[in-house]
Amino acid sequence: MQVAGIKKEWVGLEFDTAEFEVTEADIVSFSRAVGETDPRFLDPAHPDFQAPPTFSSRFVSRRVLPEAFPHIGSRGFDAGKAVTCHGPVRAGHRLVAHSKIADVYEKTGRSGPMVFIVHRMDFTNQDGELLSTVDWRMVRQPDLK
Amino acid sequence: MARLSFEEIELGDELPEVKPDVSMPRVREFCKAAGHYFSRFIDHEKAREQGLASAIVPGIMSQALLAAIIHGWGQDVTVESIDTVFRAPIPVDSHPLFRGVVTDVQPDARIAELDLTIVNDAGETRVMGTARVRFP
Repeated sequence: MQVAGIKKEWVGLEFDTAEFEVTEADIVSFSRAVGETDPRFLDPAHPDFQAPPTFSSRFVSRRVLPEAFPHIGSRGFDAGKAVTCHGPVRAGHRLVAHSKIADVYEKTGRSGPMVFIVHRMDFTNQDGELLSTVDWRMVRQPDLK
Repeated sequence: MARLSFEEIELGDELPEVKPDVSMPRVREFCKAAGHYFSRFIDHEKAREQGLASAIVPGIMSQALLAAIIHGWGQDVTVESIDTVFRAPIPVDSHPLFRGVVTDVQPDARIAELDLTIVNDAGETRVMGTARVRFP
């Protein structure tokens, strides 16, 4: 497995687009479930009613990895998520998420080598405004020989 | 309760420690709300069949709980970014402790940066992260 080669071939490649509707009910139920108490996340009548900052993390693309992406290993786990908020996500937004591979890198842990694949989703609304970027760090561990 | 102003915060300030509700009913509520209704999160027995010790709290729920705790501390802040590293699972029905500390203050931009951690009942770090928040 050559991570440098995978990186060169795949980083930056957009491989999926998906759309998601945002409703008042979606925002309120998400906010309640995580204990938000601020009315801007709970009260649709609030003048600044909006989704909590990590709301877009709930959306998943149709593909986790591009078709034909190299098989690295069968074992893996979710290593983390980073959300950058460029603007508020609001009820009525029709979000379009563009997925690409943002990075591929290797680390070695106690359990051996791990390859990190960063799946980036950029969310824009129906007006083309970029509202949120979610980086999902997936770890794949090479299969044991 | 008085609202925290940017002028009151200092480097090293700690956010109030919080033990959020990660009981099975609350996790199921979250999974339903988020559309992540998967057995490893909502059913201990099925999670064990998948090799886990018990059902686990979804990573995106831990992250959203951290954001809610930030809003509980700085009621008017805008979270500009939050990055969480999932080091190990948090069991559903456990009692994790959420902590935060101010690591940087940028007066010109009215920005504070935070380090965040979630520790389990044994005091082991399960999730760590950072956030950048802007005060009005």
